[in-house]
Amino acid sequence: MVYTHKSPALLVIGIVILAWGWLNQTGSMDGLQAWLQPGAYKEQKQAVEKHQAAEKAAVEKAAAEGKPAPEAKAMKPGKFDAVKASQAQLSYIVGGLFALVGLLIMVWKPKEGSLDYYIGIVPGIAFIVVIAFAVRWMLDPIFANWGKAAQPTLGWNFASIFNLNYVVLGIVLGIIIVNLLRIPAWAANGVRTARFFLKTGVILLGTLYSAAELVQLGLLSIVLIGIFVLGSVGLVLLIGPRINATNSMTGVLSAGVGVCGVSASVAAAPVVQAKAVDIAYTIGTILLWGVLCMFIFPTVGHLLNMGPVQFGAWAGTGILNSAQVAGAALAFDPKGIETLKVAEIFNITRVLFLPLIVVWLAAWYVKREVGAEKVDLGKVLVAKFPVFVIGFILMFAASSAGLFAPAGHYQGKYFSSTEIKEDKLLKEKELTALQSALPKARNDAEKKALDDLIANKKVMTREQDNTLRSVAKIEGLDKGAADALGAAHKAAWHSSKTIGAYRDWIAWLFAIGLTGLGMQITAKSLKQAGGKPLIIGSAVGLIKALGSLVVVLLFVREFV
Amino acid sequence: MSAVANPAAVDAAAALSIAGGLAPRTLLLAHHGTAGAEQAAALALSLAVSGQTRIVHLYVVPDFWDGMQGDDWLNNAWTRDAFAHHVENQLKKDAQDQMQAVADQCASSGIEYEPVLRYGKPAECLLEAVREHGADLAVIGPPRPKGMTGLRSRMDLEKLARGLAVPLIIAK
Repeated sequence: MVYTHKSPALLVIGIVILAWGWLNQTGSMDGLQAWLQPGAYKEQKQAVEKHQAAEKAAVEKAAAEGKPAPEAKAMKPGKFDAVKASQAQLSYIVGGLFALVGLLIMVWKPKEGSLDYYIGIVPGIAFIVVIAFAVRWMLDPIFANWGKAAQPTLGWNFASIFNLNYVVLGIVLGIIIVNLLRIPAWAANGVRTARFFLKTGVILLGTLYSAAELVQLGLLSIVLIGIFVLGSVGLVLLIGPRINATNSMTGVLSAGVGVCGVSASVAAAPVVQAKAVDIAYTIGTILLWGVLCMFIFPTVGHLLNMGPVQFGAWAGTGILNSAQVAGAALAFDPKGIETLKVAEIFNITRVLFLPLIVVWLAAWYVKREVGAEKVDLGKVLVAKFPVFVIGFILMFAASSAGLFAPAGHYQGKYFSSTEIKEDKLLKEKELTALQSALPKARNDAEKKALDDLIANKKVMTREQDNTLRSVAKIEGLDKGAADALGAAHKAAWHSSKTIGAYRDWIAWLFAIGLTGLGMQITAKSLKQAGGKPLIIGSAVGLIKALGSLVVVLLFVREFV
Repeated sequence: MSAVANPAAVDAAAALSIAGGLAPRTLLLAHHGTAGAEQAAALALSLAVSGQTRIVHLYVVPDFWDGMQGDDWLNNAWTRDAFAHHVENQLKKDAQDQMQAVADQCASSGIEYEPVLRYGKPAECLLEAVREHGADLAVIGPPRPKGMTGLRSRMDLEKLARGLAVPLIIAK
């Protein structure tokens, strides 16, 4: 079978993306961008006016003194310029790549084989990417603007309340496209690769955890997932036979409702010999619940003032389907990825539970069903093991070992005395302020840290930095000294560009992946929700969502 | 042309058609094992005449199965393949069971039987099968009563009414 469709679509997408980059670079899109990014535009406009006024004053002063006009200083790029520059850069790279492959498709005669397979998926990837670009760069700010504009009339910001950000809009647009417009034939193969973007996103997330954080979140997720996964699997296995559901239906439903939704049903269906109708009912029910939860959870989270750890733990436990866990986490907190970090640990814990649950169900089914085929439990454990979790662990290990940023960094932030630039060393005025603060030191360690800071004009060690942070909190400390301590601390901490880039990529990977997954949620499959799975799934899903909410609110604190 | 028929009327119609030498040569029966489809099978058998009528049994696997891996993203390719094979085997087994059941009924009535398995939208598959097999009559079951459980893949009656060039009887 030849996968590559002879279509100019990829070339057109590549050219459109390249054109967007060029228009942004040349400033032709400034009017539109100013409307899309009003805050950044206003900020930059004010900065330009201030800069121009300062330049004018300097020229006038020089003229008055009879000196030649000073050389004009270049302005640092503002947020508005940075937004345009990053869009242009990404457009050139991605658009260029798509245009090149698009050209190849037009001139190449594909033959069966690996090259054909990989080239054949590029148009579909481009289809998802261009939608993700349009959503993140246009629809997201448009809805944010509309939400603000409608606030005086409505009394509330509908875009904010309904979390209409790029993640939710991407998934919704994906669902609309697949159900109303249909996926074009040239894109069908590539759209199915959306899951790889999500898995890559999870693997890269490994760079953003500290060991302590991973241990804390890991333990919390094991406890919560352990209780709720085992609890809901057990509950379905208990209810199923009591309402005369078949063993295969009960088995496939318990995996779906208990572990990680559609993925668990897909994994468990063959081992419990699920009938076609059981699968359709179960997957329809789980998809329906997943989509509903993705909209309801973030709104409830905001109404209850939940923090990232609480919401991530709740979404990671209470939402039946794992794809919507990531969606809800990013919908709740689209700017940062703190909630996603927590939720994904829960997702990983769930998926690690999956092989064990499948083995449990296989044993349960064989015991109850006469003539059921025996399953090689060891083979099931190996086959269902989520390999991408190893990638996550490797990235965490590499990051902790200092491969991307100096060891001991947290989310890319690290201490380094040697990297402090000359212009960031403490000035004479600041040193004088610190001298006068010396008598305030409460112990020898604080006095020594201050002495060292004055002598070196910078913080030398992390321990010293910790000591000086507590000095800065001494009551009655002179403001000049406190500011100097703050400046010294700030100068010693740096951000890793590599980890910063990973953060951006993680957001993009999830945006692209979730848009693509949205394209796999069909109304036809949602409509299949029904039968006993709908009754049992709804009851257990509701108990799980409410139960985990109560547990999280009572016992989980923002401690990480 | 289409008509909704109840069993008594069907008996009368069948008797009349046979008496008038109007027995269908190729009768297309849409049947996939539901209660309504059983009614359609009974009607088709009553209309068919041994030695004159061939029943083409159309079994449609609805296209909603494309979306049945939903948004699964956690599983590896091996697990997804195992699932796809399992679903295919289940659907195949369901289809074979139904086809065998109708084939047995036809055999006991001495009616020639031909099974046709299609994947897609029921109405589109029916229109295509009628054309390809030269059917001169199509028989389908009634829509499932509201509130009754079952997979949702309804026959688009409007599409049939517009697209069919042969009479259609809906069993009641």
